[in-house]
Amino acid sequence: MKTISITTVPGFDEWRAAARVALAENLHPSQLLWRMPDCPQSDLFTGGDQPIVRPPTASAIRQQVKVPPAFMSLCEAALCHRDSGRFEICYRILWRLLHENRELLNHKTDSDVIKATALAKAVRRDAYKISAFLRFRKTECRGQEHFVAWYEPEHYSLELKLDFFKTRFKNMCWSILTPYRAAHWNTEVLRLEDNPEPLIYPEQDEVESYWLSYYENTFNPARLKVKAMQSQMPKKYWHNLPEARLIKGLIRDAEPRARAMLDKAEGGD
Amino acid sequence: MSDKMIAKLAVLSDAAKYDASCASGTAGKRQAKKGDKGIGSLTGGTGICHSFTPDGRCISLLKILMTNYCIYDCHYCINRISSDVKRARFSVQEVVDLTINFYKRNYIEGLFLSSGIIQSPDYTMESMVRIAKALRLEHGFRGYIHLKTIPNAAVELQNEAGLYADRLSINVELPTQAGLNKYAPEKDLLAIDDAMASMKEKIDEHKNSATYTGKRLPRFSPGGQSTQMIIGADGSNDKTILTSSVNLYDQHKLRRVYYSAFSPIDHASQLLPLKPAPLIREHRLYQADWLLRFYDFKLDEILQGANGDMLDMEHDPKLAWALSNRQLFPVDLNRADQHLLLRVPGIGARTVQKILTIRRHGQLRWADLAKLRLPLQKIKPFISVVDYSPSAKLLETDQLSARMAEPSQMELFGGVV
Repeated sequence: MKTISITTVPGFDEWRAAARVALAENLHPSQLLWRMPDCPQSDLFTGGDQPIVRPPTASAIRQQVKVPPAFMSLCEAALCHRDSGRFEICYRILWRLLHENRELLNHKTDSDVIKATALAKAVRRDAYKISAFLRFRKTECRGQEHFVAWYEPEHYSLELKLDFFKTRFKNMCWSILTPYRAAHWNTEVLRLEDNPEPLIYPEQDEVESYWLSYYENTFNPARLKVKAMQSQMPKKYWHNLPEARLIKGLIRDAEPRARAMLDKAEGGD
Repeated sequence: MSDKMIAKLAVLSDAAKYDASCASGTAGKRQAKKGDKGIGSLTGGTGICHSFTPDGRCISLLKILMTNYCIYDCHYCINRISSDVKRARFSVQEVVDLTINFYKRNYIEGLFLSSGIIQSPDYTMESMVRIAKALRLEHGFRGYIHLKTIPNAAVELQNEAGLYADRLSINVELPTQAGLNKYAPEKDLLAIDDAMASMKEKIDEHKNSATYTGKRLPRFSPGGQSTQMIIGADGSNDKTILTSSVNLYDQHKLRRVYYSAFSPIDHASQLLPLKPAPLIREHRLYQADWLLRFYDFKLDEILQGANGDMLDMEHDPKLAWALSNRQLFPVDLNRADQHLLLRVPGIGARTVQKILTIRRHGQLRWADLAKLRLPLQKIKPFISVVDYSPSAKLLETDQLSARMAEPSQMELFGGVV
């Protein structure tokens, strides 16, 4: 049994480097134990006398492993998941691709494929929601406009959206803070910072009241469909969405408002 | 920015909400070039839904009217001249600022601008074009812009609008001229048709310019055009509505036809029906529309499952069609071609692709269907796989239709948080 310690999140680069070494050593998935910083309890099972192997850097490895591109994009997403089994399952699929069946990913009913696809799907949805539900607030930094957002992704999916924010808000200075990492953009360079202080998130923004007014008024009280809203914007997102504080009141008043419109029409004024 | 602006925004977003289209459809990729000061991007796919309101609709765009003053008197419209609704008007600069400010905070993908008609169609359209132009040229805005073009405005203005907008649209509102005569006396179906035809021509010309002349013309409404019909305000049945949609898709290559169930408005005209149209009808029309566009269905096939000229409200249109074509089932998932697979109730286009992939490597068994998370109860009577086929009784019984009916209809006032 060989233990591989992943030291960063999400850990894609480290996993890839370690997986190459393990393949070169012809190590079967069952011979590997993947450890990561967010689940220290795995110590309990290793007995303590096993050597911990730090993964070598990617450049130290000469061996080229040819895998289908679809596998790499599957891993890129799946490895951002918080599930502690993510490294193991990706390595197992890699092993099986090379030793068992190169077409494995097309076996949509294979349980490893189903599991990894589900991880990747959850991460992609989580990442999409960052681009959707993240809200910037404006502040000033050395006399310049600076936009700051606080967001709590479910997985380590911020990395998947950094290019999106860099492209869309290229000429804006912005910072995105998450519980595990912050990204700062100064219109030229992206800087990442681990375990950031959440304190610099501004408490308000002058445009937010316009946004709330828009949200309130674009809502049609005569066609309440709360379930449809919640399937797309579940409650877990609400506490960081400024407009969400209006939802309860809008739902409460919707029926009386719609009835009033009907009554007025029937009154034939 | 001030309280007065907030009050205006309230009036002009309230007035715009009856337009169902929220989508920032696909208009290709776009982003600020190196060294330029612009803002925004199009990601290439459909636009991001930045929020959802309790009516289940997404907020993707800042959907507002430039003004709700209007010289027309369309009865279904809250902004008709005879309504006593509060009025407001944005200046060009105000709309531009609001769009940029919202965009910078990641509230929206862009702007959906519509307007009441003030002074004249040309005057109105010209102001709208100025807004789009300022966003593009002065602010380097590369987000999405949807302009609702004004019927009867000069063709030159329409042509200019297309240079700045990602999508243009004109609302048909009602599918027949008789309906329009009664509810929207100033609207002329032929004029709308002409405007759509000329937009289509222009869109095609710009899109194909590189191929024909070797010189590429600038982008012209790359997201195409769309329209909306109001459901249940006039007496048009579903057959009439869908016939009209099929014509719009065929003739003018529209990207989308939106259906909007007539819903009660403040300051309603007395000509209007008192009761709102059931949302389930709108839902069924969207489902039928989807079958027409993505599932190879023809209109007369959809009508086979209808009750006369109205869609079945209890079953979705694909299921309704299957129930009236039982002789074609069960479909063998391991042998049927793509066309037939697409017709199995409960199996969507993506699942069909998965099934075809799996078939290249092996055969589907009953246990696989659960792994693919298919709705087993729904598909059970209609399919067979290696180790399963439905008993003949299952398909023949009169109970099938009742068993397949949806448990409860969507309520107008349903659900609590």
